[in-house]
Amino acid sequence: MESIDTGQVDMRKPSGWRICIVGTGGQGVLTAARLLCDALVEGGHDVVSGQLHGMAQRGGGVQASVMVDCGISPMMGSARADVVVGLEPAETVRALPLMSSQTAVFMNTTPVIPFTLGQQAVLGSEEAGYPDIAGLESAIRQVTEQVLTLDATRAATETGTVKAMNLIMLGCLLGSDMLPCTPEEFWKVVAQRVPPSLAEANAQAYNRGVAMGKNFQHAGIGS
Amino acid sequence: MGRTAVHPVLEDRPGKRACMLGNVAIARGAVEAGIQFFACYPGTPSSEVGDTFASVAKAADVTFEYSVNEKIAVEIAFAASLTGARTMCSMKHVGFNSANDPICVLPYVGVEGGMVIVAAGDPSLTTSTHEQDQRHFSRLAHYPIFDPATPRDALEMTKFAFAFSEQTRLPVIMRPTTRVCHSSGMVELGPLSTHRNDIKFTKNPQRYVPIPVNSRRMRKEVIDRYKLAERLLAESSFFPRTGHGRNGIIASGVAYAHAAQVIEDLGLKGDVTLQQVGAYPIPEAVLADFLSAIDSVLVVEELSPLVEESVSLFAFRQGRQVPVFGKHTGHFPLEFEYSLDQVEDAVRAYLRLGKRKTVSVTVPDLPARPPVLCPGCPHRTSYYLARRVFGKKTVYCNDIGCYTLGYGEPLHACDTLLCMGASISQASGIARMTGQRAVAYIGDSTFFHSGWPALANAVQANDEVTVIILDNYVAAMTGFQPSLTTGRQDPPGGAPEGGASLSIEEAVRGLGIKNVYSVDPFDEEATVDALEKAKQGCGVNVIVCQSPCVVNERRLRRSSDRATLEIDAERCNACSLCVRLLGCPGILIVDGEYVIDQDLCDGCDLCADVCQHDAIKKVEVETT
Repeated sequence: MESIDTGQVDMRKPSGWRICIVGTGGQGVLTAARLLCDALVEGGHDVVSGQLHGMAQRGGGVQASVMVDCGISPMMGSARADVVVGLEPAETVRALPLMSSQTAVFMNTTPVIPFTLGQQAVLGSEEAGYPDIAGLESAIRQVTEQVLTLDATRAATETGTVKAMNLIMLGCLLGSDMLPCTPEEFWKVVAQRVPPSLAEANAQAYNRGVAMGKNFQHAGIGS
Repeated sequence: MGRTAVHPVLEDRPGKRACMLGNVAIARGAVEAGIQFFACYPGTPSSEVGDTFASVAKAADVTFEYSVNEKIAVEIAFAASLTGARTMCSMKHVGFNSANDPICVLPYVGVEGGMVIVAAGDPSLTTSTHEQDQRHFSRLAHYPIFDPATPRDALEMTKFAFAFSEQTRLPVIMRPTTRVCHSSGMVELGPLSTHRNDIKFTKNPQRYVPIPVNSRRMRKEVIDRYKLAERLLAESSFFPRTGHGRNGIIASGVAYAHAAQVIEDLGLKGDVTLQQVGAYPIPEAVLADFLSAIDSVLVVEELSPLVEESVSLFAFRQGRQVPVFGKHTGHFPLEFEYSLDQVEDAVRAYLRLGKRKTVSVTVPDLPARPPVLCPGCPHRTSYYLARRVFGKKTVYCNDIGCYTLGYGEPLHACDTLLCMGASISQASGIARMTGQRAVAYIGDSTFFHSGWPALANAVQANDEVTVIILDNYVAAMTGFQPSLTTGRQDPPGGAPEGGASLSIEEAVRGLGIKNVYSVDPFDEEATVDALEKAKQGCGVNVIVCQSPCVVNERRLRRSSDRATLEIDAERCNACSLCVRLLGCPGILIVDGEYVIDQDLCDGCDLCADVCQHDAIKKVEVETT
């Protein structure tokens, strides 16, 4: 266990919407951020988007921010996230410094276990195992109670392609009605960009997410 | 993903607002200014500038090349400028250093067509060996330097820079940092230029030949032209000042974006005088104006305290007692990029707003996800076999590329690293002094970049070195740009159109090296045989390990058919040999049981070869 500081917004709530999307390489974090950017720019908003990713082609941690009508910095300050969309549980907790009691969190519960965990033990170096998911969730709940957890990886597999997992998570976000963009407006942007062969599986995945997002109780942005 | 018909860089819709990546915005600015020639050597975070031109050059009527190294990119772009063309070359700060020879003399000679050198910086060393502040080159070598805070700045400054370069006859540097290169922000598209400079080289040796008799004259001229640049910058729009109040903040680069954001988030907009420094040299008129508006100043800039010192010096010369806060007062550190929190904390300290409130929470230890060689990467095979033959006492000098990931457990393929091409020179130095044969690892693109002279040097000295050239036919690390060997792959992996491709073996033999072996590292017998010969041989030995980058292969073929492996749980006794020798991310250990990650495995077979218990078998799978 480790103790970290997270900021607490004590001033007035800054204007705009601040979204952080996290996950591991190959999960579609950057694609999700790009889709959000495109949809919001199309809706007439000013968007700044930053990204942070390691060198690994696959498996490394990836963080992207999408800041809407906020200002010009590509960075997000501590505790400033309105929403964190976590495609992977440990990576969601890694984004904890960005959260405050105002933050809504959508977290996929299927972990991507780093291969190093098993191998490190063999190679003789100390490394903790993968933390249990309930522990990760309660770490987040120390900061905010607005948490929706779901097994989006399994749900995506059920709709036909695990690659649509990011769309389920985006569906939750859009369905929650926290952004200045309706689920239908967003889908229009997605539909222009997915190959026709995957359109149906993607639509199914997205709609599943939207339904879950609609039921999610949250304080709302700017409240 | 579908593609829009027109690349955003070529979109002819003046006034349209778009969200654009910083690097793409630079390319857009250059196209709006009527660029005619572009050259680069890729390097993170600058690569997307060149990659954008690789896609649009033909449609935009731009002569384009990926150069063999940055020095050549600068030289060839400069020559193009002498013919009248508007030219750009791009690189990262490290590559910029390897081009310093032409860079430092260029302003003396002066340009004809406008010339912009993109020298991207990487504060916090996200993908670099060191961090460096290119703004020093303004003083050092008389360069006007633009320091964009946002993609919008990047576009507008690049567009301005070409005509400005022609007016001052100075080449200019565009210095975006990683946060600007790799962030997207709002830009407004301007009209696409229809203007093209006439192309003609007119002989004028007195002007183009910097021998001392001419250079002494140029030395005086370049100072005058640098002063002209300062005057022109003073009239430019790149030093905006906003807000009022006697508390001043002056900021440069992406740190300006952070400062503006903090002021807005804290609700201080208008109460503080905020001055952006968008270019260097900072015009004295700008400093004079700013200082007359404030009583104290906080300087917000990453890396060297250049603005901080300029402000202090200027105030001193004017006889003004202005407290200057920044790095020397401990408001900011000298190293690394700033976070928004750091800027907020400094602004709060400066304005005595009280500290930012934080809460402490406990979190479980989170697993690290370090970068590693990909499953199926041919470099892993080369490293494994070379270590088997050369043993652990041999010194392994490594170089810059994906293959640097051979560092540490379990491959131990990287005992030294310095800069592009240095593996061979370092192996020479170590072999010569210790009397023991040393091994140098270098990739195809890096070999032609600057390994080549070091190899000639080793031949001349008859050093006891084995050079293992890891030829995967592509510059994989920076985004799969073609290398000089790209076209030699069978089937060809997207060689540049009309470009020749070189054989490393022929090139190396041309240096007079006799012991040269080209092998496929997945052919264990042939590779071990070559390694054994190289170990016994005298002088310089070269082994070229040729096998395509697996990720690039998948990208090009877009094939979903591939083999993977499976571990037979009955036969596997968890001896851990595969993990201890290879460290492939495709091998997972779950509750003590060894399994192959079917999503990651590329079916390269190496672990099956290593397994003493015949427990790993190939299976054909189809993935979507």
